[in-house]
Amino acid sequence: MITGIPLSWFLILGAALFCIGVFGVLANRNLIVIMMSVELMLNAVVLNLVAFARFMEPARITGKAFAIIVYATAAAEAALGLALTVAIWRTENTVTIEEIDLLQG
Amino acid sequence: MYLGQLIFLIVGCVMVAAAIRVVTSHRIFHAALWLIASFFCVAIVYMLLESPFMAGIQLFIYIGGIAVLTVVAIMVTKDAMSADSRTVSNGWSAAIVAISLFGVMAWTIVQLDLPTEPGMPVSGDSLPLLGAALVDPGGYLLPFEVVSVLLTVVLIGALFLGREH
Repeated sequence: MITGIPLSWFLILGAALFCIGVFGVLANRNLIVIMMSVELMLNAVVLNLVAFARFMEPARITGKAFAIIVYATAAAEAALGLALTVAIWRTENTVTIEEIDLLQG
Repeated sequence: MYLGQLIFLIVGCVMVAAAIRVVTSHRIFHAALWLIASFFCVAIVYMLLESPFMAGIQLFIYIGGIAVLTVVAIMVTKDAMSADSRTVSNGWSAAIVAISLFGVMAWTIVQLDLPTEPGMPVSGDSLPLLGAALVDPGGYLLPFEVVSVLLTVVLIGALFLGREH
C-alpha cells in the first residue's frame, strides 16, 4: 500500500483549499461564484476529517461518519442556495450581490 | 521519495491551481469546470488516504450532483454566461486575509506533533463497520436521521423556490 505521506501534508493541503475558498467568498460579488467557494471550503473540511480518520483513530469510523453527514449538509446547502439564486434571478434579474436589495426599505 | 508522496504533490499542486482558477477565472462557466477538476483531485487524495468509499461519494455527490447543479444554475441565469460577467471587489484585502489565515494555519500545523504513519492497519474492510455505526443508536443514528429530515425539508423548499410563478 502507498505510505510515506505524513498527516501534516494533508492538513496543509486542506488549509490551502480552505483559504482559497475564503478568498473567493471575500473577493467575488457573483452569488454563484460565492456558492462555489463555499463548496471548496466544505471540501477542505471533509479532507481534514478523512485524513484524521486514517491517522488518528484505529477503527477509522468517526471521521468518515462526520464526513458523510457534512456531505449531506453540503448537498442541502447547494440545492437550496442555487434554488435561491434562480429565484432571485427571476425577480431581480441579477446575481450580483450588491444589486440585490429586496429587503432594503 | 515514495511514489505516494510524488502523486500527492502532483495532485495537490493541480488541486490548488484549479481552486485558484475557480475563484479568479473571468468566465463563470470556466470557474465551474475548474471546480470539477478540483473536486476530482480531492477524490484522488481520498484514494491516497485509503478511503475508496469516500472517493466514490466525492465523485457521486460533488461532481455528479453539486457541480452539475452549479452548471445548470449558471445556464439558467443567462448574463452569467457572458465574458467578464463577474466583478471582483476588494481583491487585495481579500488576498491578504486569505494568505495570513493560511500562514497561521500552516504555522500551527507545523508546530503540532502529528503522526507521520497511520496508527493501525485496517482489520479487514471498515465499510461494514461504518454502515453499522451510522444506524447504531449508540453511534450516529441521531445525526443520520436529522440529516435525512434536513434533506427532505431542503428538497421541498428548493421545489417551492424554483417553481414557476
